[in-house]
Parts: sequence; structure tokens; C-alpha cells
Amino acid sequence: MTTKQLSPEIEAHIQQLWPRFPPDNAAKALCIPVLYLAQQQFGMVDDDVVDLVAERLGLPAAHVKGTATFYTMLNKKPVGRYHLQICTNIGCQITGAYEVFDRCKKRLGVGNHGTTEDGTITLSEVECLAACGFGPVAQIAERAKPDIPLYFENLDLERIDAILDALAEGRVPTELGS
Amino acid sequence: MGWFDLKIISKHFDVPEAKELSFYEKHGGYEQARRAVRMDPASIHAEVKASNLRGRGGAGFPTGVKWGFVPKDAETVYLVVNADESEPGTFKDRHILFWNPHMLIEGMIIASRSLGVKSAYVYMRGEMLREYPVLQRALDQAYEKGYLGERCFGSDMALDITIYRGAGAYICGEETALLSSLEGGRGWPRLKPPFPAVKGLWGQPTIVNNVETIANLPWILEHGGQAFADLGVGRSGGLRIVSVCGHVNRPGVYELPLTITGRELVDEVCGGVPKGRAVKGIIPGGVSMPLLDERELDVPFEFDALQQDERIREVEVQPGVKFDLGGGRTLRTMAGSGGVVVMDDQTDMVSACWRILHFFADESCGQCTPCREGTGWLTSVVKRIDQGKGRPGDVELTASIADGIAGNTICALGDAAAWPTLAFLTKFRGEFEAKIRSSTFVAQARAAAPEGAPKAEMAAAMAAGVANMEGRVP
Repeated sequence: MTTKQLSPEIEAHIQQLWPRFPPDNAAKALCIPVLYLAQQQFGMVDDDVVDLVAERLGLPAAHVKGTATFYTMLNKKPVGRYHLQICTNIGCQITGAYEVFDRCKKRLGVGNHGTTEDGTITLSEVECLAACGFGPVAQIAERAKPDIPLYFENLDLERIDAILDALAEGRVPTELGS
Repeated sequence: MGWFDLKIISKHFDVPEAKELSFYEKHGGYEQARRAVRMDPASIHAEVKASNLRGRGGAGFPTGVKWGFVPKDAETVYLVVNADESEPGTFKDRHILFWNPHMLIEGMIIASRSLGVKSAYVYMRGEMLREYPVLQRALDQAYEKGYLGERCFGSDMALDITIYRGAGAYICGEETALLSSLEGGRGWPRLKPPFPAVKGLWGQPTIVNNVETIANLPWILEHGGQAFADLGVGRSGGLRIVSVCGHVNRPGVYELPLTITGRELVDEVCGGVPKGRAVKGIIPGGVSMPLLDERELDVPFEFDALQQDERIREVEVQPGVKFDLGGGRTLRTMAGSGGVVVMDDQTDMVSACWRILHFFADESCGQCTPCREGTGWLTSVVKRIDQGKGRPGDVELTASIADGIAGNTICALGDAAAWPTLAFLTKFRGEFEAKIRSSTFVAQARAAAPEGAPKAEMAAAMAAGVANMEGRVP
């Protein structure tokens, strides 16, 4: 049994969203939104968080875990404070994304999905971020502020170096984003 | 009217205050929704049918026909807007959501009136971190004004619109997978029939329409379905928003006539290819769609033309053997999602093909064996060709795996991986073969063959090497 508790903010969200779904289907429909919010609170979706969400919504834990493991944005392992995501899909690939990604791997000393030793930055290669015209593209998700828009477009080695420099200083270079 | 003059949806893209309700209303916004809530639902449907509006998400299915599948006696009907844009090369819906959220909301009110919807949802891609707050704010403004809620515009029509955010899964852009996800589970596609219009969300009739499709509705209601049809050509009405990326001088999002050709798009709209290079290939509508080569660029980017125009080569399973789409139909290409990827003459087509396959292997939902296993195998084989480790027979192996996936899965993701693969092999087979000829595998086989051995013995040594794989792909 877990001692974790969902935050009052999540409770408020549940109350607000519940009536937007048919009464018999609301609990299940809320599974993904609540998992996402719980991840913001706890940093990841581990078995404890799965149990917590299952219990709150009255769903089988197996369903909640089955759902959580399907979606790439729900992290089953801890991620760093900053999650640096580089798109390498076609539009970015042909404009140089792998050079940018390799530079990140080298400077951070991690592989794909690796986290720096100090736990600050997790690096991931991701699929299309729907900004193909401005590639290569990166997105930075900051753990505590997942909804702050942090896109970085038209990357080259110079620009990714500036981004990595800023992250090393413990800040997101919003001035470089869009 | 000149090509670039009329803009239905994109007129105020890049105007910072365009997202605001006050700006939208100053330019005539919400007038059609205000009218619609007091209109006869059937007359709205008639306009949509007359407009020849076709789905802008990928399949190009006529919207008015889709709406007509909802059973007449249905008590509860849902409208779900598919804002899960994630087809590589496509970034138009993201622009609409960010720059023109109120036009989407107005379109949803009009559609809901026609379909008798009381609860509508926008299934929004989870990665759209920047667009979510914009659309939520627009919804809040519309509620505040009384355009949504218990009494829309003071009428007896009630409508709630709720954003449902995805959490990272390309497959959820497939309409039945989207519904599985919205119900709160894994995004697994369902067998059709029954189609969602008959049995969709929570078993009720549900219309799933793309963002751009719905955003066209206010214009259709204002100017009439016929006027919209007249903007288009043949059985396709209106304009089309395309997003262009890759090797062009001015990539971006453009609202254009359907008659525009690939060549006009690259040279005139997007300012040509950088560094004075030539075009080698163009993907016309997201990476699921078979690509065009340089000789096929004079075909209009219209739904039917891309499928039927004889200037586009038919996709083959092997040289001289046409791929069968079913019922003897052949495959040229399709307009898809409007995501155009331009590749210049320096592009490595094997590498591009591998990256596309890597994507599909990553995103296969895992339900159907041909897709789950096949996309992985395709990726492995094309990767080894790309990395200079290809073996004789790998091109045929790739084609045979692709042909084994196509048509044998619940949803179209399997086809989406197989079709472009076969198109790459049909049009750029030489590049794959050249990489195999110079591969380390072939060099080793050659070295192992007896000195001065005749060609037949060399071939036997290579064949033995292939047999030694025991069917395993590294």
C-alpha cells in the first residue's frame, strides 16, 4: 500500500472534469488525465502511482497500468528535472537532427533515454513533434512546469550548444525558444 | 481570384491577437454559429454535402457523407475533433489550433447543431504543450460569452466542449484508436464496421473529424456549400492547407488551391530548393503516402488526381508486378494529411526510408502480428542496407515483408508502413541495390570465395552466407 496522496489540485481537476463524461464512463475516461497530473506531482508513474490512481478512480490496477505503459509521455522511470527531447523524424533528419542529437549525447555523456549523473537532464530521441518546417526541433519539458511552452526550432550545433550551456546553468533558455 | 488571395482559415496566422475572441468577432467570427443554433439541422447538413468538403486528416472521405451515416433515431451523438496531428511532415493543425482556435470552436458549434450533439471533445495530441492553453483559453472565453454551455447564444441548444489530452501515441490519430484512448484505455484501433458514426464513443454514434475539416464550416455556412465546391475541382471542394518541410527555401504552412502541383509548390510557393539543388523526391501527404519522384511533380495535389493520374507510376512489389490494393486496384499515391516533405538531390533515400520505418515500428500498437513484427523486420533490414551491411536479396526481402503487412491489419498503420516502403523500392531501387553491392557483407563473401572463382561460385558463397542467417535479422 502506498502512503502517497493525490494533491488537492488533482482532486479539483477530477471534480471539474467528471461531469464532462457520462456518469458510467467518467472514472475510466479520467484515467489518462489523472495519470498525467499524477506524473506532474510525483515525477513519474511507478506502481505506487498506478495503485493510487486506480484506487481513487475505482478502476482495476491492471487497467491503469496497462494504460500507463502504452503512452510514451507517461514516464515509467524517473526523468531529470529537464527532459530534453530531440526530434529525429524525417523533416528533422534531413535537416541535420542526428548531428544535433549526437552533440547532446556527447556533451551530456548519456545515451538515448539517459539521465545525467546529477539527475538534472534526461535526453530522449522523440518522434515527430509537428513542427517539421522548422527542423531540427527540440522540446524541453520541465518537471514542475510541464505546460510551459518550450520549443526550440531551426537547431544547429551552435544553437544546441547555447541550449545545453543554459541547462548546465540550471535554467531553460526561453530566449532561444518560440 | 488569384491563387494566393483567398484564405479561409489561415488569413490571420501570425497575427498575435488572432487568438482572442474580440479579434475573431471583429472579423465576423461567431456570426455563423449564432445563425446555426437556430437553423434546421438538415439544412446545415445539406450545405456541407453540397460543399464537397473532404476530410483533411488523411483519408479524404466526404464529410457530408460521413455525417449521413449517423442513424436518424440516435438519442446521443458525439462529435470528436481529431487534433492528434502526428503524421511526420504534417504541422498544419497545430497552426490552426494556435492561431485560430475560435474558428475551430465555431465550426464545432455548427457541426454539433447539425448532428444533434450535446457533448463534443477535442482529442488533442499530448505533445501540444503550447497549443493546449491557447485552445483552453478560447473555450473559456466562449463559455463566458454564453456561446457554449446550457444555452448557446441564448437558444435552446446545449453544448459542452471538452479538451482531452493524449499522452504520446501516434496511433491515437486513427479514429477508432482515438476513441479507445478517449474512453481511458490503451489506444487500440477497432475493427470496422461498425464505423464510429454508427457505434463509436461509449457505443454511441460518433463523428470524428479533423481540425481543418471542422474549421472550414463557418465559411461554408456563410458562403454556401456550392461556393466552397466551386473553389475546388471535381469531387473535392475548398482550399487545402499544406505544410511544407525539408529542402525548400521557405518551409511553412500554406492555404492553397487543390489544383496546385508539386512543382509549383516547391518553386513558386516555397521559393525553390536551397543551394540551387534539384528535387529528388516529394512526399505529398505525410510519410504514410508513397513518394513522388522528380518526373511526377506536375500532377495537382488534389485527392483524386494523386490516386489516379497516370503520370504517377504505380507502386510495385517487384519490378513489373504491381501492388494490389485489393480488388485489382493499383496504388499511385494519395493526398493524405497535406504534410509535404521535399528531398533534394543529395538526400540518401535508403536512410530516409529507414527513418520512416523506424517511426512506424516505434508506433505500432502491437495488436496485429503482421504490423507489430513486420515493421520491426522492415526497420532492421533497411537499417542494415543503409549501414552498408546489406545482403543480396535484402531488397526482395524488404518488399516481401511490406507486401505481407499491407491489407492484413485492423487499421491502416500497417499499410502506412508498407506503402511508402514499396514506393521507395519502386522509384529508388538502384540506391538500395548500390548500397548492397558495396556492403561489407558482400565484400566478405567475395573474400571467402576461392581466388579467381567464377561468378556462379561467388553467388553460391553469398547464398550460403544468407542461409547461415537462419532467418535471423541482427
